[in-house]
Amino acid sequence: MRAASHPASDVLARRLRGLAAHGVLILCSVGMLYPVLWMVASSFKPEQLIFSDFTLWPRDFSLKAYVEGWNGLSVSFTRFFLNSALVSSLAVIGNVTACSLAAYAFARLNFRLKRLWFALMLGTLMLPYHVTLIPQYVLFLNLGWVNTFLPLVVPKFLAVDAFFIFLMVQFFRTIPRELDEAAMIDGCGPFKIYLLVILPLSKPVLATAAIFSFIWTWDDFFGPLIYLSDTVHYTVPLALRSFVDSSGRSEWGPLFAMSILSLVPVFLVFLFCQRLIIRGISTSGLRG
Amino acid sequence: MAAITAHERPAAARPRVGRFGAQDGAAYLFLAPWLAGFFLLTLGPTLGSLYLSFTHFDLLQAPRWNGLGNYIRMFTSDPRFYNALSVTFWYVGLSVPLKLVFALAIAMMLDQGLRGLSVYRALFYIPSLLGGSVAIAVLWRQIFGYNGLINEGLSVFGIDGPSWISNPQYSLVTLVVLRVWQFGSPMVIFLAGLRQIPQELYEAATIDGAGPVQRFFRITLPLLAPVVFFNLILQTIDAFKAFTPAFIVSGGTGGPVDSTLFYTLYLYQEGFAYFRMGYAAAMAWFLLTIIALFTALAFLTSRYWVYYGDEGR
Amino acid sequence: MTRNLSRRSTLALGAGLAAVSALPGAAFGQAAKRLRMTWWGGTERAKRTQDALQVYQKKNPGVQIDTETVGWGDYWTKLATQVAGGNAPDVIQMDYRYIFEYARRRSLKPLDEFMPNPLDIADFGAANIDGGRVDGKVFGVSMGVNSTCIFHNRTVLERLKINPPDLTTTWPQFAEIATAIAKAEGRRGFFGSTNAGFNEPALEVWVRQRGKALYTDEGKLAFARDDIAEWFDYWDQMRQKGGAVVGEIQALNRQTTETDMLSMGRAAITFAHSNQLVAWQAINKDKLGMTAIPGAKPGQYYKPSMLLSVSATTPQGQEAARIVNFISTDPDAGAVLGVERGVPPSKRMRDALLPKVDELGRAQIEYISAIANNVSKLPPPPPKGAGEIEQLLKRVYETVSLGTAKVPDAATTFMTEAQKALERA
Repeated sequence: MRAASHPASDVLARRLRGLAAHGVLILCSVGMLYPVLWMVASSFKPEQLIFSDFTLWPRDFSLKAYVEGWNGLSVSFTRFFLNSALVSSLAVIGNVTACSLAAYAFARLNFRLKRLWFALMLGTLMLPYHVTLIPQYVLFLNLGWVNTFLPLVVPKFLAVDAFFIFLMVQFFRTIPRELDEAAMIDGCGPFKIYLLVILPLSKPVLATAAIFSFIWTWDDFFGPLIYLSDTVHYTVPLALRSFVDSSGRSEWGPLFAMSILSLVPVFLVFLFCQRLIIRGISTSGLRG
Repeated sequence: MAAITAHERPAAARPRVGRFGAQDGAAYLFLAPWLAGFFLLTLGPTLGSLYLSFTHFDLLQAPRWNGLGNYIRMFTSDPRFYNALSVTFWYVGLSVPLKLVFALAIAMMLDQGLRGLSVYRALFYIPSLLGGSVAIAVLWRQIFGYNGLINEGLSVFGIDGPSWISNPQYSLVTLVVLRVWQFGSPMVIFLAGLRQIPQELYEAATIDGAGPVQRFFRITLPLLAPVVFFNLILQTIDAFKAFTPAFIVSGGTGGPVDSTLFYTLYLYQEGFAYFRMGYAAAMAWFLLTIIALFTALAFLTSRYWVYYGDEGR
Repeated sequence: MTRNLSRRSTLALGAGLAAVSALPGAAFGQAAKRLRMTWWGGTERAKRTQDALQVYQKKNPGVQIDTETVGWGDYWTKLATQVAGGNAPDVIQMDYRYIFEYARRRSLKPLDEFMPNPLDIADFGAANIDGGRVDGKVFGVSMGVNSTCIFHNRTVLERLKINPPDLTTTWPQFAEIATAIAKAEGRRGFFGSTNAGFNEPALEVWVRQRGKALYTDEGKLAFARDDIAEWFDYWDQMRQKGGAVVGEIQALNRQTTETDMLSMGRAAITFAHSNQLVAWQAINKDKLGMTAIPGAKPGQYYKPSMLLSVSATTPQGQEAARIVNFISTDPDAGAVLGVERGVPPSKRMRDALLPKVDELGRAQIEYISAIANNVSKLPPPPPKGAGEIEQLLKRVYETVSLGTAKVPDAATTFMTEAQKALERA
């Protein structure tokens, strides 16, 4: 504890520790990002060099892949980005509202068959989707929803993704009951408690749910593959796969170029939403 | 030290919420969207697949009743089934703990007051943004292939590395690495959980002379338990059901020599490549049973290590 | 009918729900006949096919064709789901392997009733028509004549001054050439040929050259354990001499263009199909050449590169058959489609096309006529379970090439497992 008696060296030690932490983090980042950098580099390379030239710095630098990729299909990527943005935004709204309602009931209310419903809810996470695909397709076909966005969006408004319900339940339960009880004494019913106590204190988890909803819906390939057929309906991942045909000619340059661009919106959403994952209101302060 | 236990409550008795079930009306109103989704969208296809598991269903013609036939073949005469099961258990057993420890470590590092942390956070999340993109397959070959990045690195030290991704001994490990590499979502959840922990507890503990290790085990871990529990369960379920990594990296075969034949990949092959959807459905329901057992076990033990803010004690 | 109505009304609902509407551009079009066509392929094929269909729609006002297209790997999952759900597209691109699966499960319409009018494919020649026949009826119309082949890296072989294999190369000579290439190049991680022991089309040529086949008319295995043992042994010997890629590297192959050993610069020779030349050349800097599978005996056969079929459930069979006819025989369609799907079997289409094709197209056309002495008649259709056996071959051969199983044991395993797969299916 010599440092305590030498404030200057204490500051130095802290700086050094900060520097070391940055060093570790930067090293991790590079390891994390090398593959992505390689992809960026490849998107600027001529196609024939993608698989034979592994350098990160392309010798021939060309934007050809971006230009060709953007208009590579019969419909331009502008449309695909709009489609994806629409579907993903609706998914965020649906998931955050519907799942938080259900999660509030599971976390805070007493009702009959609660354990059963909770178990069934978790159970819906456990079946591989491949085997429910065909019955589900028949269902959506009979509803007339095939080749529209409805099969991708409506389920989110009906809280079909139990992941988010369970996630929110776990976080709601860490909020002290005393807050509800105080609100109850002030005459609040369950809905007001949900709206005025639980939601405002749950910004981090709501932001988390929003991030995941957006990104996972954006990245989803299988749903769009099965339910969207018209090229004008394509979402970005579906359009990206159109560049790949394993039985014949794949267009790797446009694929990488558009893959990079498709990362941009999700990255921005992440950057924006993660600001909401802030330190919650000091809950213990409210206890008194 | 008593001041920092997480579960300390003010002495005042809580007003009783009422008899169990007293809030039925409100609760079912809150649950209405989920119940509608469950009964209208989820239940039908789920029961449909249960029915199919007792049939011969070749996708193109109507299913024919087959009784327990699929289940009997699965347990008595399908070595690939057992192989897929073992590959999957290895994958779950290796990837889940590694990914969680990694995600928690990074989340804690990012929860310090360091400058520029939001940039790191975003950078660390990028691999997870890639999801199951086809580009992953190419990337993984560039890294773990014969003259991939790893072997280039090893050759500097004069080591002649194997072609990791296509060597049956190591191919599964490359997929474990892929999963750990995409540690973004549990990291974010951990981060959100860490942000819920009142800072005063740490300050009080520091005043009491608790070191970083003590603070981690006495404050962070207990208060984070609900989130750890969540990540553990969801990551386990997700790893058992993993399909895309193996599908993309092995080109759908689960090779070499079935060394990356995940359970769901085999199920997919049976259902869609070999036209035996009834068998695939039977496999799916057996997987559901396994996952349900694991989850139930986790819930049973959770009462000993997971405490919530809402429990009166 | 009811489905269309309800789809339309929910579409309106969807439009209300969504800011950007989810409506297909032509959902409210006035087309009297509306059909859907689906195929697998990349962007090049999509453009050409959509353009050709535009030509058709211009010639036939009142017909509207909605198109669906995805890559090979995803195509079969989506198609199976659509067929199982009762929503099959009217015109379906089929593969030579899958057509048996779909036709025998009554998902495709026999086309004989539409021949010769509107479907006039008499100028294909009997062999090319038979390529689309399943159990006596025509279920698919060939879109391109195709055959197995080997590609070699001309640039590398010229530099090494080694003569490439040709139509008269025998299997032992092929092994010598491959080994010589590896020796002359002398580079670590470079081998003469792809290790093709896993390659079912190549194995099929091998057994057919011995007067056998993969399957009998009754759908049983038509070769013996010794055939497969010698096949494994041939490649195993070659691998040990450096002529064929070692197992660990060969296992990087995902049976796609970009993971092929030739494309990855690990070998100078690979096994493929003749219509894939364009795809291979596109990602290879070096010039590629093409010749027959070794053996210098009839064993290959002409097979459809892909076929067009009509869904069994389509209410518009007549119109669907007209579309198939247009795409596969009309010179106007050919002018747009080119040889992207292979050399057209239709004489009138091919004749119109010949003067216009580029170098790669010409190479394919020349190859198809050059191998006349290396081909024999179409094999009997593969039975159910054949797809599983194809994967089995890869799996079992990998145990040989990775050195975890001895050739005789692997051959026995293969035969036993293949029998089981056939019984199961």
